[in-house]
Amino acid sequence: MPNMPASLPQEPDNQDQPLIQISSVSFTYPGSEQPVLNGATLTVKPGSFTAIIGGNGSGKSTLCKLFNGLIPHYYSGDFEGEVRIAGLSAQDSTVAELSRKVGYVYQDFENQLVRPTVLDEACFAPLNYGLPDYRARATRALELCGLTPLATRFIWELSGGQKHLLALAGALSLEPDILIVDEPVSQLDPQHARQVYEVLRRLHRIYGKTIIVIEHHAEFIADYCHDVCLIEQGRVVWQLPVHEALNRLDDLHRLGIQPPEVTQTAAALEALQSAALHGGEQNQQEAVDSLRSDQSNQQDATTYPITTEEAQRYFARMLSAPIELFGQHKQQDPTPPRASLPAAESRTVISLKQAALTYKTIRKTDHPVLRGVSLDITEGERIALVGNNGAGKSSLLRLIAGIAKPTAGTVSVLGQDTRSISLEQLSRDVAFVFQNPEDMFIEDSVYKEIAHCLNKRSYEGAEATIERMLRAFRLEELRERDARLLSGGQQRRVSLAIGAATTPAVMLLDEPTANLDLATREELISTLQELEQHVHTVLIATHDMQLVSRWATRVIVLHEGSVAADGTAAEVFADTALIQRAGLALTQTMELSAGLNLRPHCSDPAELAARIHRILLAKESLPHGARPQLV
Amino acid sequence: MELVRNWFSKFSLDRIQLELMNTAYGSGHASLSRLDPRGLLIWYLFFAIVPWFVNSLTVLAGMCLFMIVTTILSRVTPFIILVLCLGLIGQVGWLFIISLFFGGDISSALPLLKLTLKLSVVSLASITVFSGLDPEKISDGLLALGIPAAFSFSLSYGYRILPVLFEEFRNVLLSYRLRGKAPSRPGLLHWRIGVYYLKLLVYAFFPLMLATAKRSRTTVEALETRGFSYGLNHPEAKKLKLSHLRFQMHDILFLTGSAAYLTLLFWIG
Repeated sequence: MPNMPASLPQEPDNQDQPLIQISSVSFTYPGSEQPVLNGATLTVKPGSFTAIIGGNGSGKSTLCKLFNGLIPHYYSGDFEGEVRIAGLSAQDSTVAELSRKVGYVYQDFENQLVRPTVLDEACFAPLNYGLPDYRARATRALELCGLTPLATRFIWELSGGQKHLLALAGALSLEPDILIVDEPVSQLDPQHARQVYEVLRRLHRIYGKTIIVIEHHAEFIADYCHDVCLIEQGRVVWQLPVHEALNRLDDLHRLGIQPPEVTQTAAALEALQSAALHGGEQNQQEAVDSLRSDQSNQQDATTYPITTEEAQRYFARMLSAPIELFGQHKQQDPTPPRASLPAAESRTVISLKQAALTYKTIRKTDHPVLRGVSLDITEGERIALVGNNGAGKSSLLRLIAGIAKPTAGTVSVLGQDTRSISLEQLSRDVAFVFQNPEDMFIEDSVYKEIAHCLNKRSYEGAEATIERMLRAFRLEELRERDARLLSGGQQRRVSLAIGAATTPAVMLLDEPTANLDLATREELISTLQELEQHVHTVLIATHDMQLVSRWATRVIVLHEGSVAADGTAAEVFADTALIQRAGLALTQTMELSAGLNLRPHCSDPAELAARIHRILLAKESLPHGARPQLV
Repeated sequence: MELVRNWFSKFSLDRIQLELMNTAYGSGHASLSRLDPRGLLIWYLFFAIVPWFVNSLTVLAGMCLFMIVTTILSRVTPFIILVLCLGLIGQVGWLFIISLFFGGDISSALPLLKLTLKLSVVSLASITVFSGLDPEKISDGLLALGIPAAFSFSLSYGYRILPVLFEEFRNVLLSYRLRGKAPSRPGLLHWRIGVYYLKLLVYAFFPLMLATAKRSRTTVEALETRGFSYGLNHPEAKKLKLSHLRFQMHDILFLTGSAAYLTLLFWIG
């Protein structure tokens, strides 16, 4: 363009030039036979918001380490190919040079924070580069991440979400063009994860940063990302706009990545419909036929919605009638209540009476985490403790396990006051599985981990129990491996086996689905069924609403250290005001069924699809006499 | 028995951690924390070395008195003082008992008192500096005095990961307790319980080291991407880091005051 418009003086002339260009890169870590990257080729345009997805061990993180030159400069393995970042050749630049253009937030971001206070942390990188305006940069970065009010706080006083934002601020202080965030959702609760993504969106929209996230939570990808790049066995398989990418259901399925729930619902519905179509009943066929033609008139039949809003429009159009009517339909819907309430004669296992817990902080002030909680838990209940961070979920579990003693009130387990017996005695009846399984590993093999407690406490038939546990939790192959070196899902299974081995009366699980990829998470839910063979009463503290609705018979909502609600999943999720107040994040399926006014909410996509299918059939087969209502 | 039990419960890991962090970082309000760390470090160097070469009881007593004043000014927590007293009494009391066995009498207490005084001066000076200044200032002071940046950084980083290590250690210890067996009888003065805990402390060390090693991988990589080694090799980065250090009137007053007091002491002694 010969005449640049005056209003756009800063328009970069290399707008169409890729910011990141990776050409057939192969890399093998030193000491390894298998290449992690195997001819990877990728182009990222400036100002894009890209998600990198792929199964475990597909080379996602390794790929991202090319961007700031950690590979090949820091990890000296076998390297081939070419990497160009913002016009620089990565091979000829140092990590320090590239890092000024590329900010990196690690998956275990806590280990990335090296300074004592928030402001110091934000100043760290610009100070290292000797930039005289380091303070201004740090202040700006904190402002962008919404951390300004916390500038003088110590890092160990921050919550997990705030730490993640600080790691982000630390990277932003160098004002890089590219920001890489490795699996932000896996270590954060849904609310904080969304907060992080909102910050990323602002950085992208307002400040024009190029954002790359490694992510396998399709809901977040659908809501925030523009492009998706799929990696498999060290190769970039495809790079597509988000809508198209999340509709590649076969690819996603093959790699154990769950598509967004609404997409699954739409796909399941279509499958049902085509099954009905081939099933042959005359008026059903007509019904589906007319629907299909409707659909193809409105949109491409092969694309399903990916976000809740889209899905709401998609299904509402399909149902194409005043939505309230379907609400009425629903009330007649003979879905049995999922929860089976415990029989009245069951004995009380755990009893809390006005239990309170207060911690001391570094500033010598008292910080109450639980304020007078009273609960009775009977044998055989499957309880989910939900609530946002800092609501007191973990503290409640620690009280029951006897790890913390109540500062007021009483906690008793099987009639024993937790204050009067030692932790060692109490742990015969109560097993506590930590949030981070690694914290539980004290031996050097899986077999010994499970055997430790049985041997120390000389249980009868320890040998047989261990074998049974190894089999039940599918750990036979791994029995001689060091548990610390297993994958996240395997570690989780070991921790459950350790807890279940002594057949305790009560089992407490703290965030069992945190930082698991979705395939492993599915596996965990089936493992929980297995757990029921060994332990009767299970309490889970969790943010995972899908787990709650699929598993729990009773849901206890904690909010600011008190019980805000206590009932079945259906009751709790129906209370919109409560959900708002307690900061619970609903799954897409729940939101969608709420949006379509289906009560009680459906908990999984297949159920919702089946329900919509039934409604559609019912609508079509209604005798004409009943029609006037619908018009 | 109840007393022993209470004593055990007072010394929880949480409490030790809280006290340590308070000693390290809770000094923002102490009057000594406003002094320039370079001056204070040189001041400390003097009081850490010179007492060993002084023999006069008067001078040592005077120094000790001065150190007590500065220790109070540094707002140290009672816990640290308790540990110090236990250490001093234990060390010197032990020597005194041994000297009695080998033909010493009450007169051997005097040289031991001198030793105690020397030890007290040095320890109190250390407490003054490490409690009165937070690790960041000490680290900056060391850097300014020409200590390599890698060392001064590890000092401040060491304090930074202290809470992380404690957390990790607590978890490992908890795992042992949740899956272990405490002695069924406590024994006289709870000695069995004591031995049980000591054994756990030793066992917990190995898993703690492995966990820490795993963590440090990310830390080292992150340091690289945040220009740490670039800063090491570029003097202007160091200059910028230390630009906030300034010798002020109260630094000069503090140092000359100390010097005047010492001259007076040596003149009397």
